[in-house]
Amino acid sequence: MQGVAIPITMVAGDSYIHRLNPLPKLFIALGVLILSFATRNPLVLGVVFALGLVFVTAAGIWKSYLRVVGILFPISLTLVVMQSIAPAFPRPWTPITDFGPFTIYQEGIYSGVSMLLRIFSMTTFALVMIMTTHPSDLFTSLQKIGMPYVLNFILTMTLQLIPILQNEFAIVLSAQKSRGMKGSGFGAVLPSMVPVFVGAIERVQQLSISLESRAFGSTGIKTSFRNVTMSLKDYVIMVLGVLATLATTVWVIADKSLDWSRTLIFPPTLSIIIVALAAIGFVAFFILAISYVLRA
Amino acid sequence: MPEEKIVCQNLGHVYPRGKIVALENVNLTICSQEIIGVIGQNGSGKTTLVKHFNGLLKPTSGKVIVEGNDTAKKKVQELAAHVGYVFQNPNHQLFAKTVEHELEFGPTNLGLSREEVEERREKAIEFFGLQDLRLSHPYRISFPLRKLVSMAAVYTMRPAVFILDEPTTGQDNITTRTVYRLIERLREEGSTVICVAHDMILLAEVVDRMIVMRNSHLIADASPREVFSDTELMHSTHITPPQITSIGLRWPGFGEKKVLLSVDEAVTAINSSNPPANS
Repeated sequence: MQGVAIPITMVAGDSYIHRLNPLPKLFIALGVLILSFATRNPLVLGVVFALGLVFVTAAGIWKSYLRVVGILFPISLTLVVMQSIAPAFPRPWTPITDFGPFTIYQEGIYSGVSMLLRIFSMTTFALVMIMTTHPSDLFTSLQKIGMPYVLNFILTMTLQLIPILQNEFAIVLSAQKSRGMKGSGFGAVLPSMVPVFVGAIERVQQLSISLESRAFGSTGIKTSFRNVTMSLKDYVIMVLGVLATLATTVWVIADKSLDWSRTLIFPPTLSIIIVALAAIGFVAFFILAISYVLRA
Repeated sequence: MPEEKIVCQNLGHVYPRGKIVALENVNLTICSQEIIGVIGQNGSGKTTLVKHFNGLLKPTSGKVIVEGNDTAKKKVQELAAHVGYVFQNPNHQLFAKTVEHELEFGPTNLGLSREEVEERREKAIEFFGLQDLRLSHPYRISFPLRKLVSMAAVYTMRPAVFILDEPTTGQDNITTRTVYRLIERLREEGSTVICVAHDMILLAEVVDRMIVMRNSHLIADASPREVFSDTELMHSTHITPPQITSIGLRWPGFGEKKVLLSVDEAVTAINSSNPPANS
């Protein structure tokens, strides 16, 4: 029953990153997001990813981080496989070698690998931000910089509902297993999903009543129970962070020599190994996941 | 001769997350045709204990034997035919379009023939008085009836032991009485019923053996009469006995201490000890 849930929630701690104001973290995560989409260069993305891991270490959230990556990584591997045989790249494509009935393309494997790195560079920063910030602090900070209240509410409520729904799903699964439900195949979908969704809808309905009764839509200036302060240090980190990501973004767009799609040559054997490993990784994960559900 | 249904030997459980000790060294034997109440404060280990009975939790130390099967080696699905678990919130359990389908889900999972499934469904409908709700959507009927449907859905699997988590919470007097009657009838049919409950009247009038949990330990295993009259025990677990029991214990007119469990008992006791002056 335990361990089924993926905890994309705050991990309690008192690291330097935990104590940082939510805004610098949010802006840096956003900057990295833009930067990751601005380039395909594997070296740049790799460096950003490595930097993200430094922050994961500094925040002391490796355990929770790895649990998310453990699911995300095998799924992302499909990108490498799919891209290699059907690149999201302007033609003409340069074939490297044949892989069974498919052909592996130079541009494809380049784009697959860089997409994988792109996903990991941005999610690492996003996870560090989410896992070290109390949802209420994020809410208060966003409100301070003028985020519309309702929009802000939707965002934070979603973050808070994820763990609740995961918990609910675990309860429903154990209830149905107690009724002899086999944990596999199409037959398991309805019994385990219907109660969760019905419960979620009921919960939202109750939530809206409770919100209304607590003057949710009232106008005027709202105060906050939690007080989030921006220190000079927070400002400096925010400005530096934004400048750094911005400058890097401009550089990677301006410097055409960073486009390695035709110059970073993958030899045929290496390409086959990469694609095969990615395929095996994904299939192994898939089988493991299924057998985990079956065993449970 | 009562048969042993569930045996716990030095059962212990430590939750992996945060290494929280939820159960320690519990020894317990549950026999056929017993009605057992499991009580204790929230967080005392009640739910953790009963979740071991159908394999939802596996012992981290010691053993649980259910009708001769070691639960550590069996899946929850395999134990479902031996022990039925009715969850506190029926919404967590019900999903089908009609009550009939809902009742067929369990026995179908056990791999029974179509005729057998239908026969069990009809028996359950009759036993729980659900004739008018056959084709209703489980989510559209009232909460107390929905709770009965969730019990009926477990009843169709014919387990030897029923675990009812808070069977009377959130129900009115009439449906509460119905549940009491059904628990008695389940026993008459040869089943064992285990209730995790805070409902003192259920515990006093229906249950014949109480298991008291405190801080992960089983601290008492006795009849309701013994448990409720042990003021020290009651105090240490923050449980209030039924009011009629408290009155009986403090009533000076009885001469000796009397442990009363129901209003009827109280009336009889009062009449015999202190006859009204005008009779």
